[in-house]
Amino acid sequence: MNAIIFSALSGVAMMFTGIFTTNKSAIRNVAVIALLGLIIVNLLHSYGIFVVRVNTHSMLQFETFGLFFNTLVFAATLLFVLLSGKDVTNAGTYGAEYFALIFFVLCGVSILTCYNSLLMLFIGIEILSIPLYILTGADKRNLKSNEASLKYFLMGSFSTGILLMGITLVYGITGTFSIEAMRPAVSVGAPNYGILEPVGLLFIFIALLFKVSAAPFHFWTPDVYDGAPTVFTSFMATIVKAAGFVSFIRLFDARAIEMGISWKIILPVIIIATLLIGNITAVFQQSVKRMMAYSSIAQAGFMLFAVYVNNDMSKEGILLYTAAYSIATIGIFAILTRMKDITFDGFNGLAKKHPVLAATNAVFLLSLAGIPLTAGFFAKYYMLAAVVKENGAGALWLVIVAVLFAAVSVYYYFRVIQAMYFKEGEPEITEVSGGFKTALVMLAVLIVLIGTFPSALLNWFYF
Amino acid sequence: MIPLLLILIPLLGGLINFFLKEEKTAKGWALLISLATLAASLAGIAQSGTLSFDAAWLPTLGSSFALSADGMAKMLTLLTAVSFPVIFIATNKNNYKNTSAFYALMLLSQAGLMGVFLSADCLLFYFFWELALIPVYFLCSIWGGERRIAVTFKFFIYTFIGSLLMLGGILYLYFLTPDHSFALKSFYHLHISAKEQNFVFWLFFIAFAIKMPVFPFHTWQPDAYEQSPTAVTMVLSAVMVKMGIYAVVRWLIPIFPEATAHFDNLVMVLAIIGMIYASLIAIRQDDLKRLIAYSSIAHIGLMCAAIFAQNKVGLEGVMIQMFNHGVNVLGLWIVADAIEQQLGTRKFSELGGLAQKAPGLAILLVILAFANIALPLTNAFVGEFLMFNAVFQHNIWMAVFAGTSIILAAVYTLNMVQKVFYGNTVPSTEHAIEAGSNTRAMLIVLVIVIIVLGVYPKPMIDLTNDTVSTILAAR
Amino acid sequence: MSPVPVTHILFVSTALFFIGMYGLFTRRNMITMLMSVELILNSVNINFVAFNKYLYPGKLDGIFFSLFIITIAAAEAAVAIAIIINLYRSHHSIDVEDAGELKY
Repeated sequence: MNAIIFSALSGVAMMFTGIFTTNKSAIRNVAVIALLGLIIVNLLHSYGIFVVRVNTHSMLQFETFGLFFNTLVFAATLLFVLLSGKDVTNAGTYGAEYFALIFFVLCGVSILTCYNSLLMLFIGIEILSIPLYILTGADKRNLKSNEASLKYFLMGSFSTGILLMGITLVYGITGTFSIEAMRPAVSVGAPNYGILEPVGLLFIFIALLFKVSAAPFHFWTPDVYDGAPTVFTSFMATIVKAAGFVSFIRLFDARAIEMGISWKIILPVIIIATLLIGNITAVFQQSVKRMMAYSSIAQAGFMLFAVYVNNDMSKEGILLYTAAYSIATIGIFAILTRMKDITFDGFNGLAKKHPVLAATNAVFLLSLAGIPLTAGFFAKYYMLAAVVKENGAGALWLVIVAVLFAAVSVYYYFRVIQAMYFKEGEPEITEVSGGFKTALVMLAVLIVLIGTFPSALLNWFYF
Repeated sequence: MIPLLLILIPLLGGLINFFLKEEKTAKGWALLISLATLAASLAGIAQSGTLSFDAAWLPTLGSSFALSADGMAKMLTLLTAVSFPVIFIATNKNNYKNTSAFYALMLLSQAGLMGVFLSADCLLFYFFWELALIPVYFLCSIWGGERRIAVTFKFFIYTFIGSLLMLGGILYLYFLTPDHSFALKSFYHLHISAKEQNFVFWLFFIAFAIKMPVFPFHTWQPDAYEQSPTAVTMVLSAVMVKMGIYAVVRWLIPIFPEATAHFDNLVMVLAIIGMIYASLIAIRQDDLKRLIAYSSIAHIGLMCAAIFAQNKVGLEGVMIQMFNHGVNVLGLWIVADAIEQQLGTRKFSELGGLAQKAPGLAILLVILAFANIALPLTNAFVGEFLMFNAVFQHNIWMAVFAGTSIILAAVYTLNMVQKVFYGNTVPSTEHAIEAGSNTRAMLIVLVIVIIVLGVYPKPMIDLTNDTVSTILAAR
Repeated sequence: MSPVPVTHILFVSTALFFIGMYGLFTRRNMITMLMSVELILNSVNINFVAFNKYLYPGKLDGIFFSLFIITIAAAEAAVAIAIIINLYRSHHSIDVEDAGELKY
């Protein structure tokens, strides 16, 4: 609750900061302070201290998992602002407003991690999405940015329409919005609702698949990620996507059983299709930014495992995955914003001219590829382990398919490493400050630390 | 404590090496570190019994930082520890751009290899298995030949796919253990049904077969050996291929005894096909490096066949041959490097009559060549004799076919010696001189090892005796 | 006058939903597409109100939900119009076909 209120207030505060000052570094500092405050109030919540007591009429339900996820997302946003804050203020003409929108997105995220009613799911998704439409179009003079924004809006509102249709069907049948009240354990002996409820749920799931850009509802992703200003792509691809998965998991926790066996067949198909399309298309990209867009689809395929199997391990896995994937992607996009040429060739010879950038970028890429000793390895490990734990031998084929696609992903991640280290070239790069390099090194160290001791992060989750 | 030191010394030494800017200091520091590792390894051999080290790592996952050095591990760590200083000294004159990074990565790969040989925990083993690969990938891609990027990438993808499949298998076994543990002991005590064994066996075997390499997974190897800088090729063929054999002995056979018995003929046939195929190709090679690469495939094939014969002689033979093959092939690479550095070519057609110019090198090479053919009194004779014996006990016909590879080995090895060192000098070898003193010194060390172990192999057999009996008992 | 059965209303809303979807996929005019989105949202509103009125008259859940939808649809439309105007400024057209910088 603290996080929802505080993030909304911070958003408003940021807008006022924009009125009182146009000093960009002052704006950034306010944002950093607000984010720190956000992390602190969220932690206070987990110790039972509330800023304001609100009776949510059980429309929201706070659990350790959601709160920890909030902390993780806020921390990732803090890293994002520390690393790319300058690019946020420079993306368009209104520096402070972009931060305000980012805070509103965070407000949406904190609703999505604890919703207990389909109404809150809808509101959370909209609070999350509408600021993103604007952020995507932030670079007003850039045609690509405008178009991406339009595309994102059309796809987003379309999926909202589907989501709402699903909710009405479920409501019509059950007469309630609460996912808690509909939990199978509670409604033992409840009347059989017939076909409409699964159809309604299916609609909701399709809408959520849109949001997390899983195949076959992924087609908007590359265009939007490509067109949006790179800083906001980084934000969308990491924090927003992870929030989509958490809302997915919450819903699934409660409702998967009603979908029954058929869902256990549909979801593997979706996972494999997502991995296939994401990985294979990424292989053929020439622009690193577009490659990262497809790679984010591929990573979504891995994250979907947490929806497919629902146990402790998969929950820990999605937390770890969020942390690992966000840190690495934020780092890569931060470096990408500094590059003049964002094709693979633009990276040629980076290792010689900017060894720090190249080395940290290599760590991020290795993490995305899932090489041991980086956070990405344990992220993938937890996902696969959760599948084997739940389904045993029957799911081994799914694991094998997944690891084969992970091997494909090495191909395109390593192309960047090859360009940086093994090819000669004159990479053009805008000025990088010492602070930026320090932040990158910190991110890389963080990745290696999580990759060596993942339990340090997860033990925190259990308090 | 010693097992930990064996990993930590090269690891920390390697990381420090990145920051040494002076070329001389970097080389000296790397040599110092590798000698320190050698000292630690010898100290480990001096202590009897299994050395182990255990520290908490990921208690929630049931994995710990468990290292254990039994006979086989001690022997292979010794091989690793010996190889690196020998390589550093023998290639001391070679110049690399960005020297400190080169030596740093070499030391890191040594740390990874040590970890593979020592880990007694499956997740840890997987960690090191991949980590040993990453520095080698960078070494080959930055300092290799013209086609280096594509070739090393092929190498990387091959091994990476293999290890990911293995990860699937490891996960499967992990959830079968009653206490959810990755410890080697828990894996040994698993009771896996024959049907499951037959499936999971392959997930592991493909990973190891790619690393060894066994036919038909060998296609990455000749290219990678040819394109890598020779110092790295030495690491690859002297030590790294042993990872595959070691893993089969340590992880595959004891955990999947029934699947091993079920597929032994298939694997042996593949291995023997690989031996003959590689030997035939080796005869037709014109390039010194490629010849040694194919010869190495043939030798590895025999080791693989002997392991799957599953008897005591075979395992004993494999144990000593792992060490001996490492020493022999290291010697051959040093000769190849000496020739290439001096004359700038590795083609037989551009070489000849070197014996007149470099008689010392020629004598040393002849002894190495004898060891490569496994003539009596050289170290390889004992190992190969035991291994052929094992294959013979398993199946006469297989032994017959495997035996032809001895003849073929004699053909290509002696052919190589003759073309390179005897006959008339050609223009390119007209002004050749003797190889550098440090190169010769290292070759002499290797030759002494070859002859000593050829005459008196008992210490090696005794050293690895405990591992052999453990593995035979686990079946 | 006999009351209208719930199924009739559901037919209307379903028809609206699919008309909206059809419009979204076939029309190339951005304003029409925006209108199609609104149609979809309104069909959902009808659904909510009808379900609430006929099936669960004791509570007001569905009606509240539709209030939320109306509010958020207004916000969405505001953003959408802003995006469209911005595109119009640069393209002088509101046909989506003219916006072809990003190819699939």
